[in-house]
Amino acid sequence: MKLACVIHRFGRDVAGGSEAHCRAIAERLAARHTVIVLTTTARDHVTWAEAYPAGESSDGRLRVHRFPVARQRSLARFFESSEVAFGGAASEAEQVQWFRENGPETPALVEHLEAHGGEYDRVLFWSYRYYQTFFGLPSVAARAVLVPTAEDDPAIRLDVLDEFFSLPSGYVFLTPEEQALVARRCSQPLAPSCIVGTGLEPPPATVGSLESVGVTTPYVLYLGRVDPNKGCETLFRHFLRLQDDTVPDAARVPLVLAGPVNMPVPDHPMVRSLGYVADEPREALLAHAAVLVVPSPYESLSIALLEGWNHGVPALVNGRCRVLKGQALRSGGALFYRDFDEFAHALRFLLAHDADRRELGRQGRAYVDREYRWPHVMDTLERFLASLPPVSVPPRR
Amino acid sequence: MNDVPAGVSVDRLVRAIEDEVRQERRERMVARGGPDDYRDHRVYAEVERVLRRAAEREDAGTSPLLLPELAADDESLRLQTHLRFASHRRVTGGFLVFAKRRLLLPLTRWLYQYARDNFKRQERINRLLFACVEELAIENAKLRGELGARQAVPPPSSDASQ
Repeated sequence: MKLACVIHRFGRDVAGGSEAHCRAIAERLAARHTVIVLTTTARDHVTWAEAYPAGESSDGRLRVHRFPVARQRSLARFFESSEVAFGGAASEAEQVQWFRENGPETPALVEHLEAHGGEYDRVLFWSYRYYQTFFGLPSVAARAVLVPTAEDDPAIRLDVLDEFFSLPSGYVFLTPEEQALVARRCSQPLAPSCIVGTGLEPPPATVGSLESVGVTTPYVLYLGRVDPNKGCETLFRHFLRLQDDTVPDAARVPLVLAGPVNMPVPDHPMVRSLGYVADEPREALLAHAAVLVVPSPYESLSIALLEGWNHGVPALVNGRCRVLKGQALRSGGALFYRDFDEFAHALRFLLAHDADRRELGRQGRAYVDREYRWPHVMDTLERFLASLPPVSVPPRR
Repeated sequence: MNDVPAGVSVDRLVRAIEDEVRQERRERMVARGGPDDYRDHRVYAEVERVLRRAAEREDAGTSPLLLPELAADDESLRLQTHLRFASHRRVTGGFLVFAKRRLLLPLTRWLYQYARDNFKRQERINRLLFACVEELAIENAKLRGELGARQAVPPPSSDASQ
């Protein structure tokens, strides 16, 4: 098959969940198919400033076609548009404008799909919320497969998505919760879909020591961007309140944060922020952690959680996030909390009960082995793509 | 996706933690002078169940609420957290909007953002309260239904017991 993968940013130096997912899937699909990545010249996810040259290039087995970003994102305009769109009374035009302001605005990519979409057997789009998906997918709807990476956040509640979600010929979801969320937002039955999540390689047989990062065991690990949107504000409040508790107990272990920091981190002896860490110390931090904490209220799939389980580390996750709660229950590898009291009890339990903690970690690892190894993921995806009906409709011009 | 494996049950552990937390919270509330009815753990558990369901419904954010729909003008119940720049002046209007957006707003952005964050909190509280009222109304409707059904059934005659 000739496949196009449409993504807002693409590059080896691009960080981001959906971008990494697209790259990993595209590279593996290229082993059996001709894969062309249709993307933009942007690298910065805030401004969409042009960083790569426009035009065609190759990246391993992939052909990459980059389209110029027509204008950088104005944060003032984007915030203003978000206030209007998510205020609850936005018109259709105001909602559509939100997708334009979110960007990265690449009309040439949309024109390419209108003119050449029929040359691809399937066009896979990542992330419904970005310009090239929202404006590009309708012109190739009959051959479009959407990987929505949808989270239960304000954007998913926009009314214009009802019609949009009825357009693709197929869906690739990351979790059953994401599938249910998108189905709730679409008044018509959803197109055929599969749930593939992502793939992980088995952890390295030997991991380094923690000396290079100056951390000693035991510790609770937070892995990923330190950001209010990831639930870190609430995590800090809960964790510091637990430290202030006058009852001495086994829960008095430090919180180690490993990831780029986008917010103030409390100046407290029990909170240690390492900033960005390279792959090797990252693996060591994962392998030696007592518990991984995932406080995010919005997730379409938590890779950090899977990485923790890959190392047999049990997790404590935000139970208000349906995806995290669902992953915890399906895997048997994590406890979940809804408020401070439950957070405190669950963390104390995990730190005080070695056997249960180890068993939860083992169950998490078994879940990853069952569901999240590349051969299984790609086999599911390949079978799904082959099962979609052939496209007979010419692309809309 | 397969079912939960055998071994340690997450569901069981979390339920045990929730029970512990419920018990402690109830005792704390009673000790601090909370409602006397909370001395009965069944009453407390039922109240918590109803309020939590409302809070979780509000958390999900996707389910519509009836009360704002019933209000004559639901727009009037909604906090407007964004600024709309407009002017009624035909000639100078464009300049005034430009001045408001490009000069006044940057100067007062800190105040706007402070107020906006608080408006958002208030909006969330409002939605939470609407959801609680609706949850209580649903409970009330169900109880009325059950009560009506019981009253419709004639009580067993005294002869039958002899």
